[in-house]
Amino acid sequence: MIQMSKVCKTYTRSGGAAIHALRDICLAIPDRDFVAIRGASGSGKSTLLNILGCLDVPTSGTYLLANEDVSHHSDRNLSRVRAGKIGFIFQSFNLLPGTTARENVELPMIYAKGRVNRRKALELLERVGLKDRAAHFAGELSGGQQQRVAIARALINDPPLILADEPTGNLDSAASLEVMEVLSELHEEGRTIVLVTHDDKVAGYAEREVWLHDGAIRSDVCHRCPTGPRFNAEVTP
Amino acid sequence: MKLTAAVILALRSMTRRRFRTFLMMLGVTVGIGSLTLLNSVGEASKREAMKRFKNMIGTFDTIILRPGAGRTRGMVSLTNVPGTLKFEDAQAIQTNIPGVKQIAKLQNAFDIDIKYRDHADSTAIFGVSANWFELRGDDAAKGALFTDQDDRDLARVVVLGADVEARLFPGEDSLGKTIRIGDVPFQVQGILKSRGAGPGGGSLGDLILVPISTASKRLFNRDYATMMIVQLTDADSADAGVQAITSLLRDRHHLASTALDDFTITNPRAIAAQVTKLNSTLAKTLKGVAILAMLLGGVVIMALMLIGVSERRKEIGVRRAVGATRTDVLWQFATEAMLLSCAGGALGVAVALAGMGTAARAAGLSLQLNWQMLGVSLLLSVAIGLFFGFSPAWKASHVDPIVALRT
Repeated sequence: MIQMSKVCKTYTRSGGAAIHALRDICLAIPDRDFVAIRGASGSGKSTLLNILGCLDVPTSGTYLLANEDVSHHSDRNLSRVRAGKIGFIFQSFNLLPGTTARENVELPMIYAKGRVNRRKALELLERVGLKDRAAHFAGELSGGQQQRVAIARALINDPPLILADEPTGNLDSAASLEVMEVLSELHEEGRTIVLVTHDDKVAGYAEREVWLHDGAIRSDVCHRCPTGPRFNAEVTP
Repeated sequence: MKLTAAVILALRSMTRRRFRTFLMMLGVTVGIGSLTLLNSVGEASKREAMKRFKNMIGTFDTIILRPGAGRTRGMVSLTNVPGTLKFEDAQAIQTNIPGVKQIAKLQNAFDIDIKYRDHADSTAIFGVSANWFELRGDDAAKGALFTDQDDRDLARVVVLGADVEARLFPGEDSLGKTIRIGDVPFQVQGILKSRGAGPGGGSLGDLILVPISTASKRLFNRDYATMMIVQLTDADSADAGVQAITSLLRDRHHLASTALDDFTITNPRAIAAQVTKLNSTLAKTLKGVAILAMLLGGVVIMALMLIGVSERRKEIGVRRAVGATRTDVLWQFATEAMLLSCAGGALGVAVALAGMGTAARAAGLSLQLNWQMLGVSLLLSVAIGLFFGFSPAWKASHVDPIVALRT
């Protein structure tokens, strides 16, 4: 699913000093993997997720997503890839206010296909247990419900890759549990899931943990990969 | 992105902020509404003026000749007629000037006593040639109009205006009856079909028509006309016709080259254009205000949308993350602006229609919506939306999704 080789991301400060947000990231994530990306603040998690999610392109290195080299894509092509191949789940849910649950779920479909499939949106809401909330506005739903709507939204275009940025960061433990259960089910159905989290419990749902430190991968541990540990060592630069 | 999708997104976003949507529409509504209303009131007054003018003149494809100088504008004067336009002049024009199809002559007098049995009355008497009816498009409501033969025979027959018939023959059949004009007996041969109101709003039916030769020889003893209508074979050659007639008449009247014309030639088409010209300062000012209101509406749309873009940065970030391209976002905001101002325009047209109903009752004008104007209004609305919505839409499309999602 994901092949990253020697991916670097460098920002230039206004003073001219370069900040190396990512250094030589080599990361392979096969189909059906469930990976947690971990690390302290400023370790490069967000930058990595932005590049994984095709919101940003690497300064150097190559990134293959489902065998498509997206490292030099134009804004338009990145948008197309996001619409078709990636489902986003955000920490703060990011449902559109004043819009019903169903309309939120339909949103990515409008951009990918230029039309809405109401039936499919309702099926997905049923899938996350919110069929009876379809006509509710985003603001009328609890945090856990909003996040499940967001999951349904992430699934509407059948993307092979689900990216979740702290999906339980704004939820209490009961709601977190619900959300993680849904993500686990999606994984069992064969979807590739990459999530960023601080939470050990949440990371515990993943099969594999990638730790970042100062923009580089410090460790990559596979807990219960069917093929056994793939890489399990401190990375030395 | 398909247009339908852009419209769906725009509509969803507009219905989410109803009050703001309403505010944004308001300026365009006022502008388009007042423009449409002003335009249709103007058109209606113009039509009304044109109709009245045509009621009097009958046809526009003619040249009107009157005796005396200096009356180049305004309506035909029927009093104090100088005797400079002789019947022989008409004959000469007919013979010498090519392209003249026919000439109708009119001679008149006012306040002539008329009598039927013991009913006495007074009205205007018009001696007219038989082709007068044809040129003016007159018809008989009852009986018959008179003919060239009647004219040659100096027949004592009359055609009554409807008002005169009503006064002389209340509840009685007038055809074939004998009335007296002065002391001369005439037989009623027909009743003139009403032509409606004249330019001043007065009736055009208060008159009696007599064959012009009869009038000239038996009543007035005059050999000059109050007015002649010259019809040309080619209506578009009116200017050349006017010139030819002028030089012929000057020649016949032995006018020195320094002297003014002792007759007046007018082209009804030119008069009508002048009479119906809608060029008052008030109308111009009102239109200016309406256009200003519309531009102000556009500025309101732009200002509120710019604020909206700032408020909706996160929303834009989400849209971009789930696959919207910059163009998609641009189109969504541009479509919102266009729909807004279109809806504003449509509402304006509705307001104008309501206003037209009121104005029609108040001013007695028959107002109708001009489809061309409707199209122009809607196009104008779209243009305003596009013009004033572009800058906010551009700004929205350049929101960086990474930054927007982090906030």
